Amino acid sequence: MTDSNPYSTAATAEAAEQGLKILGFLCNWCSYGGADTAGVCRFRQPTDLRIVRIPCTGRMDPLFVAKSLIYGVDGVLVSGCHPKDCHYAVGNLHARRRLEVLKSFLSFMSIDARRFHYAWVSASEGQRWQQVVTEFSEQIHRLGPNLGVRKQPGENLKPLDGQKQITIPCPA
Amino acid sequence: METDTMQLHKLVDEALPELDTMIGWAASYDPLRTTPIFIREAKSIPRLIWSPFCAQNLTGYLVKPPALKPADKHKRIGICVKGCDSRSLVALIQEKFVTRDRLRIFGIPCRGTVDWRQVMRQVPLSHVRSAKVEDNLLIVDDAGGTHKLNLEDVLARKCLRCRYPNPVVYDALIGEPTVSRITPEDIYRDVEALEKRPLEERLAFWQSELDRCMRCYACRNACPLCVCQERCIAETRDPKWLTQRMGIPEKFLFHFIHAIHLAGRCTECGECERVCPMEIPVALMKEKLNKIMEEMLGYVAGLDPTAIPPLLTFNPSETGI
Repeated sequence: MTDSNPYSTAATAEAAEQGLKILGFLCNWCSYGGADTAGVCRFRQPTDLRIVRIPCTGRMDPLFVAKSLIYGVDGVLVSGCHPKDCHYAVGNLHARRRLEVLKSFLSFMSIDARRFHYAWVSASEGQRWQQVVTEFSEQIHRLGPNLGVRKQPGENLKPLDGQKQITIPCPA
Repeated sequence: METDTMQLHKLVDEALPELDTMIGWAASYDPLRTTPIFIREAKSIPRLIWSPFCAQNLTGYLVKPPALKPADKHKRIGICVKGCDSRSLVALIQEKFVTRDRLRIFGIPCRGTVDWRQVMRQVPLSHVRSAKVEDNLLIVDDAGGTHKLNLEDVLARKCLRCRYPNPVVYDALIGEPTVSRITPEDIYRDVEALEKRPLEERLAFWQSELDRCMRCYACRNACPLCVCQERCIAETRDPKWLTQRMGIPEKFLFHFIHAIHLAGRCTECGECERVCPMEIPVALMKEKLNKIMEEMLGYVAGLDPTAIPPLLTFNPSETGI
């Protein structure tokens, strides 16, 4: 670990070597299926995306994005069914407004809005998924690691790294 | 100003038999400050006042625990509102936290409220004996003599950029309607000034401002529209959004929670900023969100009691959003 490395713990240093951390929130019914289709079709995809499956983009709290970017995740991608194709009829219509508002708000709060992207990918659009994720990943690689809002590199990085398990010895 | 207070006394006196409680402002320990008062008996009515020092938004008392509920359900609650407070009331009516016909609203056109911290910044006063506003001057008498201050220098920031000085909803109006101090294109000037700065400078700005935050949650507690109460995700353990660590990311996230939850709902009453003990411009975040709402969805919060706040609804036909 060098001084210039913004990541202070061994776990994140390892992750930094592997690539950047991109968080993908995918709706269960369309985009998760779309990513699956892309996999089945053996389309080449970037490896730095970590996927969180959500029931619907309507579940997507804008604060998920805010929290990730504040704590230093390098990019957040949200993807769901095309508008008017939502499994729950209107979830993505709610999401569209919220995410668009968030996108405009992020840069005001000094978080680079280019680190957040949302897209609509259906379950059959494996090719489109490949394109969306590759383009976004390239963009994040151009931007480099996200230092979050910390004043000193490494400050407060721990909460996202998974808390250490404390085991209390059990009396026999 | 005397006449307005007298008119208020007269109207409250007439209305009191049908009121359970009357919420208004009363004189406090210092002429620059006022305190909320809850009136149930006619003998307390003379304590009610209206002056440019009545800064507090009283509508929070209708929803924040212990929320006022009339013991007799046929009685109403009387409340004094300025222009900005009346918009909070409209937002609460929209979201069905209060019912319009259970309220008796005494609307007061307001030419701006004095921020005592601004006054102290201009002249450090001690033992204030009297304070009054005449035209565009604030005249304060204290141990050091009489001070005349320019009103624009001592008004709260929200008052300088107030668009709705007249109540948008009321049963009785006290005094004469007044006009806005600002032209419509200047309303978001504070937000625009920050927007123009590069990202790094904005980061430095928010880091230095939010670094002072001690997460006392006064901004949240004072906000009449922060209605999650004990379920506020800033404090719940499950889901656990925030640790108790006092780092900058936690402070950013707390303010994000507060701001995003008010997106499209905030009526810019400025309570969050007024109560902040660290003088952080917390309302600036909500102003930016309101600017986005207005530009993107053409919505201004707290004007139409029948409207639905834009983030609580959707429009299938909107494209490009």
